[in-house]
Amino acid sequence: MTRRSDLAAGLAWTGPFWIGFALFTVIPVVLSIAYGFTQYDLIEAPLPVGLDNYREVARDAVFWRALANTGLFAFASVALNTVVALGLAALLEQKLRGREFVRALVFAPTLVPISAVAVGWLWLLHRDDGLVNAGLAAVGVQGPDWLGDARWALASLVFMSAWVVGAQVVVYTAALRDVPKSLLEAAAIDGAGPLSRFVRVTLPTISPAIAFNTIVSAIWALQVFALPLIMTRGGPQNSTLVVSMYVYQNAFQYGRMGYASTLAWIQFALTCALTLVAVRIARTRVTSRAGAGL
Amino acid sequence: MLTRRTFTNAAGGLLAAGALGYAFVPRRARWQHQVPAGRVALRYWEKWTGPEGDAVQRVVDRFNASQDRSFVVRLPVPETYSKAMVAIGGGDPPDLVGLFSWNVPYFAESGALMPLDDLDLGAYAPAVAELLTHDGRTWAGVNTCYTLALYANRAHLAEAGADTIADGGELPRTLDELDAIAERLIRRDARGRLERAGFLQAVPSWWPYLWPLTHGARLFDEDERRVTCDSDGSVAAYEWVSRTAERHGRADSLGFARGFERSNLSPADPFLTGKVSMTVQGPWMANFARRYAPDLDYAVAPMPVAASVYDPERPQGLLEADVIGIPRDCPHPDEALEFLAFTQRPEVQAELCAEHCKPSPMRVKPDGFFEDHPNPFAAVHDAIVHSPNAAVLPRHRAWKGYSDLIVPAFERIWTGADARATLGDVARRAQALVDRADAARARREERA
Amino acid sequence: MTHGSAARRLALYLVLAAIACAWAAPFVWMLSTSIKPEEQALDPTIGLLPELGAEGWAASVRALARQTSENYAGVLNSASADFPTYYRNSIIVAFASATLMTLSSAFVAYGFARISWRGRELAFAVVLGTMMVPFTVVMAPQYLLFKHLGLIGSLLPLWLPSAFGGAFSIFLLRQFFAQVPRELDEAARIDGCGHLGIFFRVLLPNATPALAAVFLLQFVAAWNDFVGPLVFLNHQEQYTLALGLQMYQSSHGGTPWSLLMAACVLTVGPVLLVFALFQRAFTESVATRGLKG
Repeated sequence: MTRRSDLAAGLAWTGPFWIGFALFTVIPVVLSIAYGFTQYDLIEAPLPVGLDNYREVARDAVFWRALANTGLFAFASVALNTVVALGLAALLEQKLRGREFVRALVFAPTLVPISAVAVGWLWLLHRDDGLVNAGLAAVGVQGPDWLGDARWALASLVFMSAWVVGAQVVVYTAALRDVPKSLLEAAAIDGAGPLSRFVRVTLPTISPAIAFNTIVSAIWALQVFALPLIMTRGGPQNSTLVVSMYVYQNAFQYGRMGYASTLAWIQFALTCALTLVAVRIARTRVTSRAGAGL
Repeated sequence: MLTRRTFTNAAGGLLAAGALGYAFVPRRARWQHQVPAGRVALRYWEKWTGPEGDAVQRVVDRFNASQDRSFVVRLPVPETYSKAMVAIGGGDPPDLVGLFSWNVPYFAESGALMPLDDLDLGAYAPAVAELLTHDGRTWAGVNTCYTLALYANRAHLAEAGADTIADGGELPRTLDELDAIAERLIRRDARGRLERAGFLQAVPSWWPYLWPLTHGARLFDEDERRVTCDSDGSVAAYEWVSRTAERHGRADSLGFARGFERSNLSPADPFLTGKVSMTVQGPWMANFARRYAPDLDYAVAPMPVAASVYDPERPQGLLEADVIGIPRDCPHPDEALEFLAFTQRPEVQAELCAEHCKPSPMRVKPDGFFEDHPNPFAAVHDAIVHSPNAAVLPRHRAWKGYSDLIVPAFERIWTGADARATLGDVARRAQALVDRADAARARREERA
Repeated sequence: MTHGSAARRLALYLVLAAIACAWAAPFVWMLSTSIKPEEQALDPTIGLLPELGAEGWAASVRALARQTSENYAGVLNSASADFPTYYRNSIIVAFASATLMTLSSAFVAYGFARISWRGRELAFAVVLGTMMVPFTVVMAPQYLLFKHLGLIGSLLPLWLPSAFGGAFSIFLLRQFFAQVPRELDEAARIDGCGHLGIFFRVLLPNATPALAAVFLLQFVAAWNDFVGPLVFLNHQEQYTLALGLQMYQSSHGGTPWSLLMAACVLTVGPVLLVFALFQRAFTESVATRGLKG
């Protein structure tokens, strides 16, 4: 087997990606930077305005609100989804009858378009007649106006994001199955209870999976768009306005493509920075056979 | 050997083959089947569906039957103004597009529409003609126009006792009268939650920017290019809104209002089902009342206003129009122009407006227009069209951004925020949008 | 079986049941509303099945069947939404996207898995890095790019980028290829195969599960994609199901809820059917045994 670097072959085989990368990523990103310094409404030619857009961003309270919402959503949803997914994966590993059916049920939501289930969810979360509040009322709790109350709307979206953890559950299931029984038995012999075994043995062993899921779901959460657009349109009172939505509004509804590009760029930069930080942390904290693909 | 694997693979293969076969058999979209051979197909994007859409379709059908060169296909498209802008920018526009009158400044300034210099503006009511023009040129024809007025449930009013209304009138004309009656009509359920409201500005939630005109204030000063939603009149109006919210319970009434978000103009509409006794609505309400609540006994009057600006001869109200324009660089401009001219004919106009239960945008109406009109209160709406006090939305391209600032502000005021501070904030930001747009326009003109 | 263990099992079953209910609820509600007449659609007092006033089993079933076909036909024949066309477009886009993505990603994955070249690790990091680029950054310039290519007005903008591979698919396939034993490569090489030969004779045949997984995942992603169609498609006859459904919902004048839910079922049904048939392929794909090594 030849050991020399086969650069030509390597580039030839990976070539399709580089072409697409140049056409659909690099060029648009460069254009986007350029548009960030213009006022542009798609129909008239772009008008260079220097740093005006960036100055406007600094003063744009709606953008900062959107940024805060996005950050909050990302943090809460990643945290909740990790707990829920791990919990589900652990639960479905127990020998219970019907667990395969539940496993399929849990995965199903990841397969459906958000526009299809949104209306259903809108009704389920209705203040008076929705199932959720009806269920809460049955146990004597008065449920809030989930999507109408500015304090609860973002939380409702976070809960909805937990409904689509199916993919994460599958990853965790595979990871849990890979935990060597011998390690767990040794720990049990040492007198560790189930919780302690989970924390000391299982968690570190599946840490690559946790890192992978966390990073992927964080990236998704920072770019979330369809969910708030369809469920709440950014309301009430901009409490569910996320950065992607604000970019879309500026680009396609206000005719401010230049400003939208500026905003999108800031979103990109922040996503990159956060992801790199997360990867760095993952590299140091994730144990052993990790690093696969990271 | 037939294993489960084989079975699922076979099933999947069949499914795939079936799907691909279905997809790749050449067929045209449903609307393309309608176009008779030899005719030029014109695409017309219009916002309406349901009975209103059917009314427009009848106009289209008349045009198609009246000549044999072109064939207009009406396509219902939600958020038409946004999709039209994107399509025009992408070089892929339809031939005709139905917009709102407040879209005209934006579309005109960006050169997205074909100017219609041959349109006879004198045929329209002056206020309507203004809506069709920008910078001295005409950019759109009118489909229908409408004004907003107060719709009130007569049975509920009788229950409340209308003795508080001056001049023995039937409906409240001032805000004080309105508040007094609304107060008596509040009903709560066993849990203390709102079950029926007399009048809530949040129902429907479509016009959070409407209220300044109840105090004679306007949102924008066109001559000075200044945003005026923080003027004293406007602040007073929103303080009135805030007081209404407080009396009904801020959170409760907001939840109550929001519950109707998807039911407006359906059989579950709050006004048609008596959940709200009085509401500000457009003339189409008569249409939906006819369909869903034919036994509802209601009356219409111009919007109640503050006593200081009340003038029975010159009612206040918001005037808007649904307009029809031709995108620049559309595939068939000549044929599109022909259809547009057809829609502007007086008899076509009269019929469309009648079917929409709306008043007529023309200066001169055909005989019997009001007598035969399906909206028993068309005259009320019409009076507002011709009233010197009729307000229009700001004729500026930054209006959409401005109105999107008002929506959360309205909710904040409803839930207790200080009106003056909130509106001041909105004004500041909206002014920045206006100034930026004006500056950009000036620079473009310099370069040109 | 001790008392505690039985209690524990009971608790676990309760939790399992609760989860099953929570996860199934939106689907069940969707299905149940889609077979009700409009007046009963939002009525909370009516249970899962509509009250159609029929007496006895046979009549009830007939009435239900009639109501169901009425609702679904109402959707398929709707004047404001051309669902058969949406189906067609979704099928085209999803199949094209999935096929091209699988093939191209396989090629690229081979380049990363079986060829050692200078800068390979850095290049792979770049590939993964593209996952971080938000669509909002590129959507407007991509729109203008397609405009200049004259592609606005067709479905190409939705599936053409798939012809050049995607980060996630490449990642999956690279992990899988890395685990195909190199001895097989050697054997093929002895037979006189170059890279192409090894690719077609050794790797592809041995990677069918992963290829199927990539195909299915991309198919589902393209079927459900909403933002792409929202940005790139202007005309109704181009809409895919996910977008058409959203437009149907937001049409001016209020859509009847029962029809809306029927439309949702029509959109969601095919994918769930495919899932039911090929469940293992989906779940195994996402598991990526490659996470270990």
